[in-house]
Amino acid sequence: MRPEEVVSRVFGVHRADVTDETSNRTLPAWDSMAHVTLILELESSYGVSLSTEDALQMTTVAEIKRVLTGHGVSW
Amino acid sequence: MTPLTATERHPDAAHGATPGPAAIGARLLERLDAPRACEALLDLDADAGLAWLCANLDLVNGWPIQDRRSVLAAAIDALPRSETADAAPLLAWLAGEDIVEPRLVLQLLDSCGPELRNGPAAERLVAAALERAPEDAQLIGLRLPGLIAVGEAEAAHALLDRLGRVDRSLACAQRIRRMRGELPATGPPPVRIALLSSFTVDQLVPFLDLEVRRLRLEPSIYVGPFNGWAQEIYRPDSGLHGFDPELVFLAVGLDDLVPGLAGLMTAEALEAAAEDVLQTVTGAVRQLRASSDALIVVHGLHSAWSDPAGIARGAPARDAWVTRLDLDLRDRIEGMERTAYLPLRDVLVRRADGPVDDPKLRHLARMRLSEASVREVAAAQARYVAPAKGRTRKCVVLDLDNTLWGGIVGEDGPDGIRLGTTAPGSEFVEFQHALKALTDRGILLAISSKNNPDDALEVIRSHPYMVLREESFSALRINWLPKSENLAAIAEELNIGLDSLVFLDDNPKERELVRQMLPDVLVPDLPADPARYRELVDRMPELQTLVITNEDRQRTGFYHARRQREEVRERATSLGDYLASLAIEVDVAPASASALPRIHQLFQRTNQFNTTTRRYDLAVLQGSADDPDARLLTAVVRDRFGDHGLVAAALVRMDAAECRIDSFLMSCRVIGYGVEDALLARIAAWGRSRGAAVLAGEFVRTAKNEPARTFFSRTGFLQDAADGEVEIWRRSLDTDFDVPSWIALNEA
Repeated sequence: MRPEEVVSRVFGVHRADVTDETSNRTLPAWDSMAHVTLILELESSYGVSLSTEDALQMTTVAEIKRVLTGHGVSW
Repeated sequence: MTPLTATERHPDAAHGATPGPAAIGARLLERLDAPRACEALLDLDADAGLAWLCANLDLVNGWPIQDRRSVLAAAIDALPRSETADAAPLLAWLAGEDIVEPRLVLQLLDSCGPELRNGPAAERLVAAALERAPEDAQLIGLRLPGLIAVGEAEAAHALLDRLGRVDRSLACAQRIRRMRGELPATGPPPVRIALLSSFTVDQLVPFLDLEVRRLRLEPSIYVGPFNGWAQEIYRPDSGLHGFDPELVFLAVGLDDLVPGLAGLMTAEALEAAAEDVLQTVTGAVRQLRASSDALIVVHGLHSAWSDPAGIARGAPARDAWVTRLDLDLRDRIEGMERTAYLPLRDVLVRRADGPVDDPKLRHLARMRLSEASVREVAAAQARYVAPAKGRTRKCVVLDLDNTLWGGIVGEDGPDGIRLGTTAPGSEFVEFQHALKALTDRGILLAISSKNNPDDALEVIRSHPYMVLREESFSALRINWLPKSENLAAIAEELNIGLDSLVFLDDNPKERELVRQMLPDVLVPDLPADPARYRELVDRMPELQTLVITNEDRQRTGFYHARRQREEVRERATSLGDYLASLAIEVDVAPASASALPRIHQLFQRTNQFNTTTRRYDLAVLQGSADDPDARLLTAVVRDRFGDHGLVAAALVRMDAAECRIDSFLMSCRVIGYGVEDALLARIAAWGRSRGAAVLAGEFVRTAKNEPARTFFSRTGFLQDAADGEVEIWRRSLDTDFDVPSWIALNEA
């Protein structure tokens, strides 16, 4: 599953509307509570364990991809 | 079949120009049978293959189903590789067929643009695929928007329930709650639940929503402002009080109350902190008790931090301190009215997967529980919601073969079935122990099994490892009739509604049949592994009771005695002889303090023989018992087979010159013995002693209480007037109120 799909599932937005630029500033649904859900969903989708710092950095789709790549994840 | 040569595989290289799809198709058809040729073409050149396929659908439709299926698979595989192909004809073609694998439907839709994906053909396709793969979360997700858009609320809610079962993640639970927000309610009774906490509990809400809906209740959930739990309780104008909750869950984090727990604390400091915690929590609960009727459920205490002293001997042991404090809190909470304690630490130990605590979440979002823990806590909370909202079922109906023991007694014989101290067989013993415990909580057991009665009864009576014996069961239906008929007969025999039954059977077909025939019966899926049977019963909210009364503990005994009475009845020559032979004794007395919990239970539970169905709470009943102008009378019944216990109650009140029967209710267990006549005679005597000339009975009709209405007409009352929905029946006190000749009436 692509990170865009995870983002679209968690925030209930259409997959086509999710790009690398999608961020917690462009999506109103992406608040701090939903961010927790997103982190948990990324962890279970890719079988990785994210640190607090990872989580704090993953506020855009591009950043999500960068951090995941750093964990050796590909999609 | 001869493999294609290199030239044939790459015809362009040989001819220098791209041949049209028709030409390639024709060439392939010379060498291969048509379906294989089509597949090869799709594999070679996605554009050409799809173009050929779409142009020749009529031909393809004539192929055998196996061929159609494999060509379809190849076509769906080719779609993403094609630049020119249009998925629309394929989609339209597929929608008319029922041959495609659900997995391929998903793949096909992935290759479609949004217009096609949301079109009617896609919708039909998804619906058909879902029939074949009902548990596929992705398909459910695709089906839902369509259902929601056309307002099929009931179907959408059912599908959302299923989605919650197959995908248990937080993200999914939140998605489900979001979609429910777009749907109208479908009519289950509402329940208002408030969550108060010192930490973030928003993640609990979607899980609790799912759990409560499983109880066929429509939850509205109020979450207090972050760390505002105390203000919410103490301020009369708080959101909590405006919400008027029926249940309040108070989850105060020990680590929030005593932040010093992050570091080392002296024994004195811990001791002082403990008293502080107890005062703070119980003080708040007392305040809330005074201002709200809600059931208050207080979460037990747990600390995320392990002992900072490490393993050192002699340090003030942190875990022991938390355990003691938690026990003290439990004692104090359970000493208060209409409160309950939720054993948080036990719940956390029993969660199925994942860590208890996720430190990252604590720092990111002030969550004190991990995702897995939150799910488990929501499930635990549902075990309080069910009894608080009268969702407790009264009877569990059990299958025998592969449910109470392993194997089939009719085939394996009583000695061949698996039931004993080692596996396979020990799982069933463990399960039976849990069922036996249910009878101590007042829940009845019954059997519905397709077997020869003699085979089954031999096991029940004499197998050395049976925990449940004949007297554990309140009704037995061992025969070859459909289970739905047996369940209906059991409900009738026990005088309870079908909505009071739970049916447990290892056979999915039997379960499905009962679900269809008797939708009111609760039919959970029994796990495939008998080792997990027990867990199902232990965790089921519909089998929980908030308080266990003496009557609960004796209930199974009552029904067993009743079966013996029935046997006597069958031998008796007349009803009068039969009743006389029972030697029924009735003690009528004003309510005593110790009887109040049982009286309260009767007021809450009695549906059939209940004149007004007024669900008074304990405080009102207590007040009536103390009111000199009122009388709360109870009837305790015995006969030669045993005690029936406290089975009837009436609340009467002087109103000018008449004595009013505000409530008159009797357990359905004793309908037909004339107990109500004996109680009525005592009411009449009290009314006369207070100078009343007339006895007035109030009656409020419900769907279930016809037996209570016939009571008034049968005992000489006349319907006089109606005050809104309240009918008034009157009878002069100047007449004799007869006690049936077969009843010995004692007055305390």
